[in-house]
Amino acid sequence: MTSHLTTPSPDAPPAGARQATPDPASAAPAASAARSRARARRRALLPAALFLAPLLALYGVYYLYAFVFLGQTSRQSVDLSFTGATDVGWRNFQLVLTDPVFWRDIGNNLLFAAVSILVALTLGFFLAVSLASGVRARRFFFVVFLLPSLVPMSLFATVFGQLIQTNGGAINQTLRAVGLGALAQDWTGNTTSAYVAVFILLTYLVGLPVMYYTSDLTTANTAVLEAAMIDGAGTWQMYRMILFPMLRGTHRTVILSVLLGSFRWFELIYFSTGSQPAGRTGIPGTYIYDQMFPSTGGGQIGYASAASLVVLVVAIAVSAVNVLVQRRR
Amino acid sequence: MSATTGSDQSPLHRLRQRPRDSVVVYATLAIGAALWLFPLISTFRQSVQYGGLHNYLTVLTTDYNGVNLVRAFGNSLLIAALTVTLTCGVAALAAYAFAKLDFPGRETLYHAALLLLAVPAVAIMVPVYWITGNLGLFNSPVGVALPEVVLTLPFAVLLLRNYADGIPNELIEAARVDGAGHGRIFRHVFLPLCRPALVNLAALCVVWSVQDFLFPSMLLNDAGQTTAAQAVQTIKGAFAPTPLQTSQYFAALMLLAVPAIVIVVVGLRFITQGITAGGVKE
Repeated sequence: MTSHLTTPSPDAPPAGARQATPDPASAAPAASAARSRARARRRALLPAALFLAPLLALYGVYYLYAFVFLGQTSRQSVDLSFTGATDVGWRNFQLVLTDPVFWRDIGNNLLFAAVSILVALTLGFFLAVSLASGVRARRFFFVVFLLPSLVPMSLFATVFGQLIQTNGGAINQTLRAVGLGALAQDWTGNTTSAYVAVFILLTYLVGLPVMYYTSDLTTANTAVLEAAMIDGAGTWQMYRMILFPMLRGTHRTVILSVLLGSFRWFELIYFSTGSQPAGRTGIPGTYIYDQMFPSTGGGQIGYASAASLVVLVVAIAVSAVNVLVQRRR
Repeated sequence: MSATTGSDQSPLHRLRQRPRDSVVVYATLAIGAALWLFPLISTFRQSVQYGGLHNYLTVLTTDYNGVNLVRAFGNSLLIAALTVTLTCGVAALAAYAFAKLDFPGRETLYHAALLLLAVPAVAIMVPVYWITGNLGLFNSPVGVALPEVVLTLPFAVLLLRNYADGIPNELIEAARVDGAGHGRIFRHVFLPLCRPALVNLAALCVVWSVQDFLFPSMLLNDAGQTTAAQAVQTIKGAFAPTPLQTSQYFAALMLLAVPAIVIVVVGLRFITQGITAGGVKE
């Protein structure tokens, strides 16, 4: 794998190089140089606009217009035919923001992200280091750990949902077969076991963090381990005192990418526990979906739009933190 | 397998110097691999429990709720191809502007474009439904590909700009001096140089597009257009809760995983490079 990293380290040059590339042509008097640079930048506006046009057109329609549209429908009572809308003012927002289920779902999203991060920083870290220590069949292990993250989420969550079925589910059967029948249970029947089930499902998604750690381990300066070894450091100490702090940057990458990704976990819950029992394991994604396609009656599009906007504000705020963290560095 | 010889030299092998440590590492990996393969193995076992391997043939040749699995694979691939083409094209053009053109407001616009990294599909479902309807793109692969492209673009722009920043400006300048316009430089200098990053991006686009459930399920209601990820749900009701049909349902689930597994095994290298290069780096 090491040799495959042909990318000329895309992260190395930009930070300083980007701002301070002085145009060699304008090294003369400072003032006129600044003026000609400003002129050159203005001249670049037209080509820049042309190159950015497709991006801006798509963003304009599917983000900008979409947000404006949500702003309108969120103040209406309307169904998916978008006809016969009645204006209801800010009532949808009032209802969403005072709905304890909505807040519980946001709490769940954060809890699930936290659990995922915890798994990534412990198990993911250990697996990546183990894989990088020159074990046999490395590629096999890598693929096996990565697969659940890369097959369709709807499929993996469905398969997992089948595993945790009370009767005939493979987990209960296996537990009984190995004499742990007492642990076999109706997994989505009570809140605690349903949470445990979701946590297990999240653990299966450790592959992406393993990928981040593996990539950074190839460039990390692990030679200090030799020195530590000579100084008599134990294995546990090398993991904890040397390797874990060494990958500080990767921990941050992993935390941010899991947190950013957690807003897109709709299929994960929808196809595994289906928010059972009684909506306790729901997340904002399933919350919005259930408002759009309720099991009975027509979709409450105005209400779903209000919830969407609140979720968008949260997701964009998290992205903003991400961008700020990146810029500061 | 191929990697072992080279990485044996890594100082990390010190961590396994004592036999006891090596045992712990291998035991963790082996138990982990067994647990990670458990869903796959148990699904396979259940798929052949009644009716045996013949179930696979049955599932491939039967329409369930009007959905044929082979056709579903084809539909997924078509949408993936559209997504790859559009994402790579649009993101490459934008990356050229962000990395190689110095224009006022560049960084502000770039960071604004990145703010959308975490937008969840479900949060823009309502407007996407309305927009797709108005563009007359219901039941069209393009209608599904467009929102998928839009959700991937923030990441794509980040990935390609990161990469393009590493391309020496002198190469662009030299072409300018030779009298080439931006269009020609983009095609003949920039695109070839970005190829490694574009390949990684393309691999990721395929994975993500094939994974997508929400947009197809919302925008395609013609059974003939159903994608593989969407079929997971669509076909479920067509299997009676008899032992045989339950086994066949599991066979269908197994088959639905096959394209993804092939893509992952074949494109693993590009997927890894793409994801890690697009990550938030030091």
